[in-house]
Amino acid sequence: MPKKSDDQLKRSRFYTIFTLMMIGFALVLTRLVFIQGLEHDLWVARAEQSQEKHVKLEAERGTIYDRNGKILAMNIERPSIYAIPSKIKNPRKLAGQLAPILKVQKKQLHEKLLKKKDFVWLKRKVSLEMSERIEKKQFEGIGFIRESKRVYPRNSRFGHLIGFAGLDNKGLEGIELRHDKSLRGKAGFVVMERDALGQSVFPKDFDYARSTPGRALTLTVDEVIQHISERELDRIVKESDALGGTVIVMDPWSGEILSMAVRPEFDPNKVSSSRPDQWRNRAITDFYEPGSTFKIITAAAAIEENLVDPDDLIDCENGTYRVKGTTIHDHDAVGIVPFRQVIAKSSNIGTIKVAEILGPDRLSRYAESFGFGKRLGIDLGGELGGLLQDRKQWSGRSLASIAIGQEIGVTPLQMVTAVSVIANGGWLMTPQIVKEPGKSVKGEGSRSKIKRRVLSEATTETMAEILKEVVAEKGTGRRAAVAGYAVAGKTGTAQKFDRALGRYSKERSVSSFVGFVPAEDPVVTILVVVDEPQGIAWGGQIAAPVFSKIAEEVLHYLKVVPQGNRPQEPTHPQESIQTAKRRSTLVQIADRSGGTSGRIVPLIGPRW
Amino acid sequence: MTMVDHRMISGFDRVLFVVLFFILGIGVLSIYSMTGGVSSPGRTALYLKQIYWIILGFAAFLIMAWIDYREIARFAYPIYLLTLLFLVLVSLIGRTGMGAKRWLMIGSFSFQPSELAKIGILLALAKFFSEDSPKTGLGLKRLLFSGAILLLPSLFILKQPDLGTALSISTILLSMVFVMGLRSRFLIYFVLISGMISPFAGQFFWNNLKDYQKKRIVTFMNPMEDPTGTGYQVIQSKIAIGSGGFFGKGLFGATQSQLKFLPERHTDFIFSAFAEQWGFIGVSVLFILFFIVIFWGIEVATHSKDLLGSLIAVGIIGLISFYFFVNVGMTLGVMPVVGVPLPLVSYGGSAMVTTLAMLGLLFNIKVRRMIH
Repeated sequence: MPKKSDDQLKRSRFYTIFTLMMIGFALVLTRLVFIQGLEHDLWVARAEQSQEKHVKLEAERGTIYDRNGKILAMNIERPSIYAIPSKIKNPRKLAGQLAPILKVQKKQLHEKLLKKKDFVWLKRKVSLEMSERIEKKQFEGIGFIRESKRVYPRNSRFGHLIGFAGLDNKGLEGIELRHDKSLRGKAGFVVMERDALGQSVFPKDFDYARSTPGRALTLTVDEVIQHISERELDRIVKESDALGGTVIVMDPWSGEILSMAVRPEFDPNKVSSSRPDQWRNRAITDFYEPGSTFKIITAAAAIEENLVDPDDLIDCENGTYRVKGTTIHDHDAVGIVPFRQVIAKSSNIGTIKVAEILGPDRLSRYAESFGFGKRLGIDLGGELGGLLQDRKQWSGRSLASIAIGQEIGVTPLQMVTAVSVIANGGWLMTPQIVKEPGKSVKGEGSRSKIKRRVLSEATTETMAEILKEVVAEKGTGRRAAVAGYAVAGKTGTAQKFDRALGRYSKERSVSSFVGFVPAEDPVVTILVVVDEPQGIAWGGQIAAPVFSKIAEEVLHYLKVVPQGNRPQEPTHPQESIQTAKRRSTLVQIADRSGGTSGRIVPLIGPRW
Repeated sequence: MTMVDHRMISGFDRVLFVVLFFILGIGVLSIYSMTGGVSSPGRTALYLKQIYWIILGFAAFLIMAWIDYREIARFAYPIYLLTLLFLVLVSLIGRTGMGAKRWLMIGSFSFQPSELAKIGILLALAKFFSEDSPKTGLGLKRLLFSGAILLLPSLFILKQPDLGTALSISTILLSMVFVMGLRSRFLIYFVLISGMISPFAGQFFWNNLKDYQKKRIVTFMNPMEDPTGTGYQVIQSKIAIGSGGFFGKGLFGATQSQLKFLPERHTDFIFSAFAEQWGFIGVSVLFILFFIVIFWGIEVATHSKDLLGSLIAVGIIGLISFYFFVNVGMTLGVMPVVGVPLPLVSYGGSAMVTTLAMLGLLFNIKVRRMIH
């Protein structure tokens, strides 16, 4: 029994220890409530006081290069002017002297000079002559620090893509914003010292070295191709008096963006003289109704599902067809034609009939598979996923509308990436904008950029054949043809939906052409979108010629050998090494040319 | 030697491991944010080093949890003598760093024998007290003897000089004596005698302090006396904690600590940096985590199978809580700056390994009470 009481005695001592601990925690916590709660403001003020002596020195921002090492964004050194207010004897007089040189208001300057701070910026990153004028006068308490200022040597070229960085070295738009963290580097600091009189001074030789410069960035774009794209886009926007437009050139094999041109233009060197809506990279942030260009997706899906053959005959009803209570018209009325002609003539009726065999489930699935309705995940900020209704929300008319590219919103980036699927043998790629270091060798690196297989190679070959006919003599896209190279592509003209009127507008439309070239061995996929051209708006007339011009110059620039001039063993230029690789693995597909096996496709409902 | 059966790990122990994981994580994250992830050429980043130490610490934890603590205690005196030997070696051939001779080099690996001494003293005292202890409390003879066990290594540690560690190990004795109890008659003598001796002892103590140690104590009394000198640390620490406020400034927004105003921001003052980043909310979470560890330790001590286990557990908890409260108190300006780390959080290898080894010992005592 005494043992037990002894145990209990011990236990009570443990409780005492526990209580002591609790008191300890309570005391410390109370102290914390005082410092972090009640005295919080006091300590914040103390913190600011001690930090005023800290002058932040921004690191040099990383240079941005195009794929060939041409500089797209760089830094130059510019003087910044600061004041040490405590050293200034007559702030009012000094403000009067400085204001006209600095081109700032005297009142604002005076206020700055009166601040009870050890350090204050007067004006940053000014011109050399401005700083020299002030330096000559040797004002007491005024000093200079060299800071790096961002400049964009190509001015408005690449403007939307690169974006810009602000005065404080912070990326605000485009690549500058997206990759701000690595471009910005790490800022350094200088601590002001006190001299014998107790005044703040900069240490004699402070080092910038304490900041870590930002990392350089290489983009996939090509300055020359960008130049071609922007020049031709400018020309058509001006000629057709359009609101704007977009051109994207993509390497279909790797998904790399070679150029991305957007109008209205924007010069990142002159941010202040532009409106924020001009900064937007519309190639990824805006979507449009693709119109007939979307027939590529409908047709490819039907062929992949083995529902239709290029030579199957389809009754296009001579241009007028009633479906689900609405009447569909074709621009060029045709009768019973093979499916390839349905696409070449861009017949809405023929396409809708094929879509009805395909059915909404499959069309919806293919549209998603081609990358519509969702962000593709390009390494740029602000990308939108477009507008593709979930299958469950489709109305009775959705199938017919979507099949011909209405009731769906796509970004230019989505369209060019989707058509690249046809060009590269069936693979949906993640579009690339940043060249990954160490992965510059084409081929292996891009394998990881494959999102999914969308079509079989056989289907893409068939589609390429059909799309070649669009550009053939009697096709809607004949103006997209390029001498010496076979072009595969599709025109699109989409009336804009007028929300005020609740119907499609007759005057306002989006004219586009998308395609790849050379058709049998593609090097580039090109999309041209012209927003609201005045007068004639047909894609075949507005966008197709732009495609042709860009394609021609780009092919020459990339030294792609024209058809007919090819030697036995084609020497592929740098751009298409991978093309050659992939082609060697192509499975030769059966010849599907048997024109006699034509069948007439029934009006509605699947026959198979 | 008994195997540790997984069934003996109760639900509460699982909570403990999660808690330890979070405390260690907070430490690594704070070190990372204060010293950066970049390692200069040829040098490993500090947060990575800390992770290596944690791994080593867990190895020590497992060893100390595995071998029955009664087996370990059998070698308490030899271990104690070994640590004394190490301390003698430090005073003879130790490496000097930051004005103190604390490190012993073995190859390129440096360690602090004073850390090992904590475990040596802990085991020696626990063994000494647990052997045929009187039920009526400790007498003078036993008290003097135990004092000698403590004093011998303490003198070497004070000489290094390392006031923080010397003070901290005395908490091992204090907490054990508290549990053992003093003979009531003797308690009165003890208070009277120490009351008479303390002025002289204090004088002796003060005279033997280094100048910087004296300065710290003066500054503690009045930090504003010398705001740019010794009081600087405490004021900067309070600015960091106070400006952190309720929600904190975020991982990389802690200007006060990141602008390098705060000294020792990854070691002794890591709590201030943490408090600036995560505010009162974060600190409360950290406190709850530490509370769970300490509570768990007291529970182990209370329910230990034998007196030996109880004493070891109490010594460990006394030591860890001392570190915790003195460190936090120091950053809050309620304790003098004696230079003790925040256990499991501050950067430092030897302390990390020792602390985890001691927690392993606690776990050992906890598990062994189930085995009969």
